[in-house]
Amino acid sequence: MLDTLTGLIEFEGLLTFGRAIILVVLGLLLASLSARLTARALRARLTPQLLQLARRGVFYGLLGVFIAAALAELGFSIGVIMGAAGVLTVALGFASQTTASNLISGLFLIGERSFEIGDIIRVGDTTGEVLSIDALSVKLRTFDNLFVRIPNESLIKSEVTTLSRFPIRRLDLQLGVAYKEDIAQVREVLMAVADANPLCLDEPAPLFIFTGFGDSALEIQFSVWAKRENFLALRNGITAEIKVAFDTAGIEIPFPHRSIYTGEVSKPFPIRLVNEDGGNAAAHHGEQAATGNSQKEE
Amino acid sequence: MAAPRKSQPSAWWTPRDVDEGRSLCFTLGPLSMVLGHGQDEWMLKVESAEEADSDANSTRLNVRKGLPEEADERFVHSGEAACVALSPRLADRPIVIRPRQPVFLLGGQQVTLYLSTPVWLRVEVSEPPVLLKEFPVMRMSDTWFGPSTRDGELCYAGRTHARHHLAELPERAHRAITPMTIRNDSGKPVPLEKISLPVPMLSLYGAADGSLWTQRVTLTLEDQAEQARVRIDSDLPEVQRKLDLLAGPRIEGGRSGMTRAWNLLLGN
Repeated sequence: MLDTLTGLIEFEGLLTFGRAIILVVLGLLLASLSARLTARALRARLTPQLLQLARRGVFYGLLGVFIAAALAELGFSIGVIMGAAGVLTVALGFASQTTASNLISGLFLIGERSFEIGDIIRVGDTTGEVLSIDALSVKLRTFDNLFVRIPNESLIKSEVTTLSRFPIRRLDLQLGVAYKEDIAQVREVLMAVADANPLCLDEPAPLFIFTGFGDSALEIQFSVWAKRENFLALRNGITAEIKVAFDTAGIEIPFPHRSIYTGEVSKPFPIRLVNEDGGNAAAHHGEQAATGNSQKEE
Repeated sequence: MAAPRKSQPSAWWTPRDVDEGRSLCFTLGPLSMVLGHGQDEWMLKVESAEEADSDANSTRLNVRKGLPEEADERFVHSGEAACVALSPRLADRPIVIRPRQPVFLLGGQQVTLYLSTPVWLRVEVSEPPVLLKEFPVMRMSDTWFGPSTRDGELCYAGRTHARHHLAELPERAHRAITPMTIRNDSGKPVPLEKISLPVPMLSLYGAADGSLWTQRVTLTLEDQAEQARVRIDSDLPEVQRKLDLLAGPRIEGGRSGMTRAWNLLLGN
């Protein structure tokens, strides 16, 4: 009789275990199905970021419900679990300060909407396209196709430049022209180049700023505007055109200059020639000349 | 003052047949185009010259034997019909036009400026018409029009001589003329430095002599308001010739008026 009793208990236990497993499996299936349906239904209305959030929310929510049901089936009391979890949370809390900070920063980042999925951002030295804004980090794809993970905390604390926020962008070119050039003529040539380039916007007008008298050249900043998508094409196009225009107009872009004086500008630089023995080459040369002369006379 | 070989102006937008093995050669102002009908395909070669260099009044269209040696683009289409329809269209973005010299409109005065904008060419073949390509007759410079660098829209930039007498207008077959009436109801003189023409909302009309026109646009500047009322007339411009409707507006009007308004006052 004891055998049949233990056998019955075991069988009962096995049944409950089986039911719990079935509940979890069912939960997984249902959750993933609902998540996919929700995503499809809301695709037109939400941004990719919110869509991902909604999808994950539905999935984990439903799964959580089913797991709780499975646990209840197995006989665990939710209250006891919550109690244990409370104690564990305090311990974990101290250990996971950064994670919590990242989580909250992530929520604020999404709420602020300074950048979204698909935008191009620059953080420090890294520039890339935002692939996803996750709970703890933001994932970027750089232009040389590398995958970068940036913790949300560092994004909240530091400067983030969103390159794709505004539709037009200004290109600042730093040029130097030789001191002998006429600044008014340089300005005319540059404005003509900007006018002729169709990618360069007429309005806002190109900006010509004389930044200063540099060491080797007159320093000039020439700023032109373009549609953001045309920025690279403009940068390559207009620099080549400026070079050609300068060459045609005879405007010189100088190399760095160094002038060496021996203390007085007007006096020539004294030079003494030495031959290989170290003797005075000038004296030697004079002797040679004399010998040469006498030889000729003979 | 007549050019040595002035071509007879005519409406070039009537459809014509280009059989297989033949090409259509078309010159309109700075644009020259060759469209060849190959075997199950159409070959297109386009060249655009500088507007200042080209003979603005030359419109030549003829069909000759032979295909272009090097085509820029080839369109595969195995239709039997050989008819080609070239038609003009207006620009796809608004055009910001600046007068070459500053023009001041004194208080209580009204002026009608004739502004011209380059047209787009639409090439369609076969019956029913299949669009091959739609492209501008000349490349125009981009410009930005808006209250700041954050809001606004991308437009094309143009210059104008701001002629206000019809007789002074040169005949340029590749440009569509918009008569724009500006009324200054305020007491102060107003500088006309930048005029944004809402070209996608205008319709294109053509005359038998090949000239292209749009409806009249009226701009009324009132006294206290910063904004001006813009109205696009629905009737044809009075130009003493018969006009046929060639194309409707790209964007239907409606709330067109007020958004275009403060353009004139952005002059400074």
